Order: sequence, then structure tokens, then C-alpha cells
Amino acid sequence: MVLGLVPPAVIVLTAALLVAVLPRDIGHAIGIAATLGVVAISWLVPGGAHVTVTLFGSADVGFRAVLYNVDVFSRLMGLIFGFIGATAVLYSWASDADSTQTAFALTYVGSSLGAVYAGDWLTLIFCWELMAVTSTLLVWHYGGAAVRAGFRYAVLHGIGGSLLLAAIIWYLTDPAVVAAADGNPLVFSSHVDGAVEGGMLAADSQVPAILAAVGIGVNVGFVGLHTWLPDTYPRPHVAASVFLCVYTTKTGVYGMYRAFPDGHLWIAYMGGAMAVFGAFTALLQSDMRRLLSYHIQSQVGYMVAGVGLAGASVGYGGAKYYYDALAAAGAFGHVFNHILYKGLLFMTVGVIIYRTGHETLDEIGGLGRKMPLTAITFAVAALSISGFPGFNGFVSKGMIIGAAEKKHLDVLWYLLLLGGVGTFLSFIKLGYFAFVEGSYDGTVKDANTGQSVALVSVAGLCVLFGLFPDLLFELLPFQGEYEYHTFTIPHLAEGVGLGLIALVAFAVLKGPLHHVGKVPDIDYAYNRAFFYGGRALIVGTTEAYAAVDRLAVRFVRTCYWVGNNPTVAVQRVDRRLLGPGRAADGGQASRLYLRAGVGTTVLILGAVLLLFLTLSLLL
Amino acid sequence: MSELLPALLIVLPIVGATLPLGVGLLRENVGWSIAALVLSVEAGLAAWLAAAVYGGEGAARIVHVLGGETFGRRGATENFVVGIELVADAFSGLMVLLVAGVALAVLAFARRGGPRGNAFYSGYLLLTGGLMGLFLTGDLFNLFVFLEIVGLTTYGLVASDRDAESAVAALKYLVIGTTGASLYLLGVGYLFLRTGALNMVDVSRSLAGEPEWIDGALYGDPLVLAAFGFIAVGLMTKAAIYPLHTWQPDAYAAAPDAVTVYISALVSTGGAYAFARVTWTVFTSEFFAVGQNARILELVIVLACLSVVLGSGLAAMQRRLKRLFAYSSVSQFGLIVIGVCVAVHPAGGTQATRLAVYGVVIHLLGHGLVKGGLFATVGALAHGTGARRVREYAGLAKRRPFLSGSLAVLGLAIVGVPPTIGFLGKWYLAVGALNTRLWPVIFVVFASTLLTLLYVARLLEKLYFDGPAEGAAPAAGPEPEGPGAPGGADGAVITDGAGSLSYGMIALAVSAAVLTVLLGFAGSALTDAAQPIAQAVIEAAPEVSAGG
Repeated sequence: MVLGLVPPAVIVLTAALLVAVLPRDIGHAIGIAATLGVVAISWLVPGGAHVTVTLFGSADVGFRAVLYNVDVFSRLMGLIFGFIGATAVLYSWASDADSTQTAFALTYVGSSLGAVYAGDWLTLIFCWELMAVTSTLLVWHYGGAAVRAGFRYAVLHGIGGSLLLAAIIWYLTDPAVVAAADGNPLVFSSHVDGAVEGGMLAADSQVPAILAAVGIGVNVGFVGLHTWLPDTYPRPHVAASVFLCVYTTKTGVYGMYRAFPDGHLWIAYMGGAMAVFGAFTALLQSDMRRLLSYHIQSQVGYMVAGVGLAGASVGYGGAKYYYDALAAAGAFGHVFNHILYKGLLFMTVGVIIYRTGHETLDEIGGLGRKMPLTAITFAVAALSISGFPGFNGFVSKGMIIGAAEKKHLDVLWYLLLLGGVGTFLSFIKLGYFAFVEGSYDGTVKDANTGQSVALVSVAGLCVLFGLFPDLLFELLPFQGEYEYHTFTIPHLAEGVGLGLIALVAFAVLKGPLHHVGKVPDIDYAYNRAFFYGGRALIVGTTEAYAAVDRLAVRFVRTCYWVGNNPTVAVQRVDRRLLGPGRAADGGQASRLYLRAGVGTTVLILGAVLLLFLTLSLLL
Repeated sequence: MSELLPALLIVLPIVGATLPLGVGLLRENVGWSIAALVLSVEAGLAAWLAAAVYGGEGAARIVHVLGGETFGRRGATENFVVGIELVADAFSGLMVLLVAGVALAVLAFARRGGPRGNAFYSGYLLLTGGLMGLFLTGDLFNLFVFLEIVGLTTYGLVASDRDAESAVAALKYLVIGTTGASLYLLGVGYLFLRTGALNMVDVSRSLAGEPEWIDGALYGDPLVLAAFGFIAVGLMTKAAIYPLHTWQPDAYAAAPDAVTVYISALVSTGGAYAFARVTWTVFTSEFFAVGQNARILELVIVLACLSVVLGSGLAAMQRRLKRLFAYSSVSQFGLIVIGVCVAVHPAGGTQATRLAVYGVVIHLLGHGLVKGGLFATVGALAHGTGARRVREYAGLAKRRPFLSGSLAVLGLAIVGVPPTIGFLGKWYLAVGALNTRLWPVIFVVFASTLLTLLYVARLLEKLYFDGPAEGAAPAAGPEPEGPGAPGGADGAVITDGAGSLSYGMIALAVSAAVLTVLLGFAGSALTDAAQPIAQAVIEAAPEVSAGG
């Protein structure tokens, strides 16, 4: 099948090239067609299709790389990446994004697709780094404050990518991996013989696992490594934010699963921490896109928790049906759903910014009456992300929380529930202050036609997958290995209950929450540490270099002088060692007489001989 | 037939040496032609010998007994040799090639630059014959004889200028050189007293206690220890190791240019070769492993280290080029002697021995080539421009680009910059020293590179980056490169009216520089050639035979 030989990344990257050169309308149409083509390919190409090449040498010495690998995980990622890509291109077109920006965005989409369709670590890290570069370009393209934020973003992702690369290199040389790999240590694709199972934990050493966790942790926004998210995503064009909110973090979750297919308890707890930290920090924000960015961290926290729980050894494994399969399926289901509602949230907020020009909640209000479509689609997205029954977030979030509960990891379970309260709370805040409370002076139009198509189609899917979760289960991995019923009384009670708690809390906290002001995150500390540390390093290095340089120059100059004035040099040394007053010619002798005559030499000869004989015979 | 070659190589130049004088009775100025003819044949024979030695598997050991097998070994190998053996093996084979090549090449310089007259060429051929004997003999007393032949002819050649300075230098050389040779002879006499043998292999076996009439090894015997002391001091005098070097700068500086080229390339090399030969294959590493014997070796190393450091320092202080490079030889032979000692020092393992032997052999060859080339270049520059002092070299590179380029390449080779043969030699010496973990020695070996740079960099700076000094420029305007250019400014020592540069001189200088670089790429070939020597030293075998 020809389709099975064309990697989706190639299609999208080609489209990106066309978008850059063709007229804007045609270009965006091609962009939509290409991304929809990716959906079709992802749907049609059966699992097992793969393209294998040998890099850097012949078959026996080179690296076997799997450039294109289709299995249930990459297929799910390809489907949703393609679909949201198409709506985002449509949204870009409708929101006056220029062609260059969309071209950058499509290269970013293409490199993400390359990463999720990679069958080996080399291809994955290549696309991973390319993704960091293209997303930085997408941010930079907007100019202004986005440039500096983009720089910080690039630095952090450079560090993260390098850590992952280091992990891969370490992993490749690990004896256990080499022994298990049968010549293909790079490959994790299950379609290739000799692929290594178990990810980074297959190595004897713990080092690759730690490096990979931290390196991927940058991409998924581990607490402490997350500051690039709220720093970068609010800055560029509203349409660029729609792209950004989808690909980097979700490719990160996918990579986390590839690196840790058997999960890890620490990763699960980190996910719980992210869920809580992200949700409650979001609550304190008034910049709308900044609030949404913290919620990316929070929601990705659920996915990371799902990945962390995906091992039988993490918590209680289950008897007939396996809760680790439930957790992994939940993680990927949440990736799928999250892309839909988070894309939708950024689109609705983007419409508000596009129509009003205001970024923060302090400057707007009462828009619900003027922008009904936007308000309704926002409500769908907000209920989805909060996990309200009947919307898609409820399904997948429930799977992860359920897995945590069934595995008897109570602390994690409570963390995830608490994150849910925070999520409800902050979306009640966002919706209330943007659409309900207050009023907005001046005329505001609702979303335009192109935006409306994008909004409604994504919102429709949110509801569809919320009401008919079996449609989603068809796409998820580990079908039949777990048992999960979406609409049970405890689940429904949980979803509604969290919402009620949040409503009560919001009623109490409404006043303070409206005027929080700017809340510093830890990047306040480390931006300064980086800046002053960097300056100290540069000044230190420069000064040290200058000092060494001065010394070297002085030394060379002295040598040069001695070379040119050897006799004077000898006499100076002589005077210093033996004291002044010995120079017979006023210290300016130009000649040093050192020659030994015949007699002296024979005397020396005799002395040396004596030395030898004494040493050899007497001592 | 190849058994005759060692004898032929010695006899041919000695017999040839009578021809310039004899034929000179009939015709004027035949000396150069006869020498060229004889040395061409000699070079052919040397090449043949080298082919015979290296042609087969490993390296052959070709032995010629003077006077025929009557005087050779009878029956069991335990019997001593009655007569004198000439031995061509991996070590002497390489050296014979060097001698034949240099002897022939220097003629190109002497054609116009050298002392003229038939008597000079008689001496020249005699010296070649002596050197051939020195490298080929397998007999300790015979080695003394050839040392004396080499010494006496060198004294004569140094003085062939017939001016006062060279006469004094030759006299100094005569007295000191003869004293050194006498000490060597005393050492050989002690060995003879104790072992009753003069053949190197026999002496070595006797020292090891192999013959049944000797009770065990003689390594602890005071007579043998004293013998090594005498021999070491004598040969170190010949190789000009500090503080026994004082004859050498005077002799090199006062000798005619062609003679300096020749003796700088080969004569001290002969002394160092003899020291290596006697230390490695007569006394062997087992001698130094016994008791406190390594201490004598360490004393030699101390002197050699002093030689390296002070030789370079003194070189840096010189104003006259020929004295400068003469002191440079003191430093370089210090390195070679360090290598000789490191190879048999008990602190070093097999690897240290192997690398040190490679270093010594390569640096002996390389130093001969490079130092000869340097003196040829310096001589040619003196003939072309009259410049004999460092300050007169200012800006010479513009006027004599080829000669200056050769000087730069050869100078960098003596520093040890890759890819030159100078680098190879120093590299193996340094790595060999590293393997012994004798830290002061290692420090000196590595510092030698910097110390050498001290005087070479000064020369290069003068040549390339300094304008001509005020008033020092002999002539205004560019001079044509090539023969016939007016030379001989103030005080240049020029004899026989030879004051001009010849193509031969330029060719000699440039080809030495080119060969230096080419051989820099021949590292594996050179180490292959030296491999049997290293094997013999490692096994403490008296014979350098076909290596495995």
C-alpha cells in the first residue's frame, strides 16, 4: 500500500513549504488539506507499516533507524494531531495570521508528527529537537515581547533536548541494552526484530532513566521545569498559541510513555503534583492565555500520572483486568481529549483577544451577550476540561483517577481530585469574569465564519466523545485488557460533586480572586539566577583569560628579551645571585667568555671519570 | 657474495683514498672526480648491503670474518672468534646507508664551497672508510682503531683551512678526542683482562657467564664496572656530551663549511652509535639490573639531561650560526644518550625499551640528516650572502627564499614539529621515557622541545619578521637567487677563493629539508627497520638478528 510508505511528517512539511510561497488563501487551503490527509492516512494505514533505513554505514556497522512506524499509539497521536492541525490552520486563516506564521506552524506540526511516528530513538530525538526549533521560530515570528520569551523557551528546550539526547546515548551503550538489542539498540518499534522493550528502564544503569525523565520533563512541564509554558504561550499571535498548546506537551507525554512504558511511581506522583500546582496557580492568573497555559501543565499532569501508573509494578496491579492498562489507555485518551478542549479554549480566548484586543480579565466582562457562540463553545470546553459528566474530559480523566484509586495510591488519588476542584474553580472564574460579570463598552462582534466553523466542529467532538465514550475506546490502546464503565453512579457523583465544591468555593473567593495581581512563579528566581550567574561566568572567564594572556605575553616577552640579550641576562642573574660589585666593566659587558681550554677540558674529563669510578666501585 | 660487502665497504674508500694523491701527481684537481666516483660505487654497495640485510624475512645478520674462516668460529658457538668480525645487521645497516648517502651528498657542497686540493679528498675518503668501519665492526678493539682513524682524519680535515683558528680547534679536538679514545681503550683492556675476548658477542656472552670456564655472570665484578665507566666516559667525549663537549663547538665552527656538514652529520653520530652498541649488546640490560649498577646508568642520564638543558641554553646565547648549531648538537646527543640509557634501565618495561630504541635509532638517523642539512644551509647562506651571525640574518628570507625555507623546515624538524623525522625521533624518545616513570627525565625530554624552540624561533624571527639591520645590508636592491651572486662581506671565512653559492649547495639544503619531511611520513617503515634492534635489547641478546 503506497500510503503506508509516505510518512505524514513529509506531507505536512511539504505543505509548509507551499504555504510559505503560495498566496495566502490557497496556501491555507493546502495546509488544511494536508493535515486532513494526515487524518486519513492515520486512519487508513494499518498498524505494522514501517519504513526502515540504515544510517551511518552499511547493514552490519550502521544504525538501524525506523523513520516511520505505525502502531496504536502513533496512530492515535497522528489522528488527533492531524485533525487539530486542520482546524488550527482554518482558525489561523480566519484570524488574519500571515502565511509565514502558518508555514512555521506547519513545520512545527510536521516535526511533531515525525516524532510520534518515529520507531527509534534517533529519529525521535531528531524530530524532538526540530520541534523545539520550529516552535521557537513560530514564537519569534510575532516579534516584540515574544522574542525574549522565545529565547528563554529555546534555552530551556535546548537543555531538555540535550538531556534526552544524553539519556539516549547512555542507553545505547548500556551493556544490558546492547545484550538485549540484537544489533538494534536504537529501535523501540515492536515491528522490528531485536527492538528493546521496557524503554529507558531496560538499561542496567539508572542514569538514562533519570536523564530522560528530566529531559522529557521539560517538555511536559514538570513542576519547576514548567515556567516556559506560562511565559511563552501568552505572547505570540492567538492562532500560534492554538498550535503551541497542542503539540509540544502532548508529544512530550507520548515520549514519556515510550521512555517509560512500564511507568514509574515517581512519575505518577509528579503528575499529581503538576495537576494540583497547575490548577491552583492558574486560579491566580488574570491574563487569559497565561491561565490556560497553567492549565496545560495541570492537565498534562493527569496524563503524566496515567503514564506513571502504566506499570503492573506501580501500586496494586489488578487481578482479571489490569489497572496499568487502564492508566495507560486513560493517559492516551486524555491526550486525545485534552487536545480537543484545550485547542478549543485557546481558540475561544483567541476570539475574545482578536475582537477586543485585551489580554486580561481585568479589562473585559459581560461578553456572553455579545458573543453567544464564543460563550457557548467556551462553556463546552470549560466543562470538558473540568471533567463534567457528558463532556469528553470526564471520560479520560475518570479513567486516570479510577486507576489511581484502584491501585490504592490514595495520596495520588486525592491530589488528582484536588486538581479537579482547582480546574473547576479557575474555569468558573474565567467564564464568570469574561462572559457574565460586568459589561463591555463598545461594539464587539462574535467569531467570524471561519473561526465559528473551527469552534463548532471541535466543540461538537468534545460533546460527541463525551456522550459516546465507546467511540474513543475504539481508538485507545490496550482494548480488552481493562474494564471501565464511564457512567456509573460514583463517577457521576464524583464529577458533579467536584463541580459543586468548586461553585461554593468560588462564591466565597470571588472578590479576592478578581484582583490578585501578578503572581511570581519560580522563573522569577531562576531568570535572575541565570542572568547574574551568566554575567558572572562571562566576566570571570574574560578576566581569567585576560590574566592568563597577560602572564603569557609577559613570559614570551621575557624569553624574547633573554634570547636577544643572553649575555646581559646571564649577568643580571649573576648579579642577583652573587650580589653586586663583581662586574668589572660597569655591568655593561657585552661578551660572556665561557670557553674551556684544552687543559680545563682534560681536567673536567678526569673529574667525570673519577665520578664514574667512585660511583661504580666505592659506593 | 653479500658476505664480502662489509669488508668492501671499508676497503673501497680507504684504497680510494690513495688515488687522489697518486693520480694527483699526474693531473691537477682530480680529487673531487675520484671521490665522486668512489663514493657513488660506495653508495651502490651500501644500498646492496641494505637490500641484503632487509631483503628477506625480518633482518639478516651478515658476518664477514677478516682473513677468512680460518680465523672464524670453530665448531661449537662457545668457541671464541680468533680474528675480527665485521657485522652488518639491522642497526649498522641503517647507519651505513646514512654514511654513504651523506658522504656522497656533501660532495655537492664541496664542489665549489669546500677546501680544494687532492689531499683534502684523500682525507675525506679515509674518513668515510673509517666511519664505515666504525659502524660495521663487531670487535671492541677494532672499534677503537676505527674511532682513531675517524678521529685523526677529522682533526686533519678540521685544520684543512690552514688558518690559525682552525688549527687551534683541531689541536684541541686532537688532545681531547685522543684522551677520550684512550679511556675507551682502557675500558676495553679491562674487559679483555676479565673475559679474554674482544669480539662483542664473545665479550657479552662471557659477561653473562655462558662459557663453562667462567663461574657465573661477571656483572658484579669491579673490573667490569670500571670498564663500563671508562668506556662510557670515553664514548661520551666522542659524542660531545656536557661537560665533555668543549672540543665540539670550536671544531665545528672553525672547520670549513663542507667539513662541518660532514662531521656534524656523522662523527658524533659514530660516538653515540658506539655507546649504544656497547651498552645495548655488550653490557645488555641484564648488567644494569644487577645490584647497584643502574646507578652508573643514572649518572650518565644526569649528564645527558644537563647536556640537553645547558646545550640548548648555550646555543641560545651564541651569535655565530655554526657555534649555535654546534651547541644544538650537544643538546640533541644528550637526548639520544638519554634514550640509550632509558632502553636498558631496569625501571622501564618491554614497552619503554622498545620505544626508546626506536627513538634512538630514528633520532640518530634524523639528527644526522637534519643537522647536516642545517649546516649545509648555513654554509650556503654564508657563501651566498656572507651572513655568519644571527643578526646578519635579519630579513634574509626575502633575498634567499629557498635557503631560508630549508632553514625553517630543518629548524622546525630539530624542534620536533610534525610531520618531520625530528618529530618521530623525539616522540618515541618521549613516550619511551614516559613508560619508565623517571619523572625528571620525562620533564627534561619534554622541555627539550621548548628549549630547542628558544634558538630556532629566534632564527626564524630574524629571517622572516625582521627587516635588514641598518648598515648590515651588504648590497642594496634584490639579489638574484642562484650561483654567481656576489657574496663575502666583512670577515666571512672563505677559503680557496670559493666565495659563491652553487646550485649544488642549494640542492643539498633543499633536498635535506624535503627528505626530512618525507621521512616524517615513514614512521612505520623506520620502526619496522628498528624492530630487530629493539627485540635484541629486550631479550638482552648480544646479536641483532632477524626479528620476529
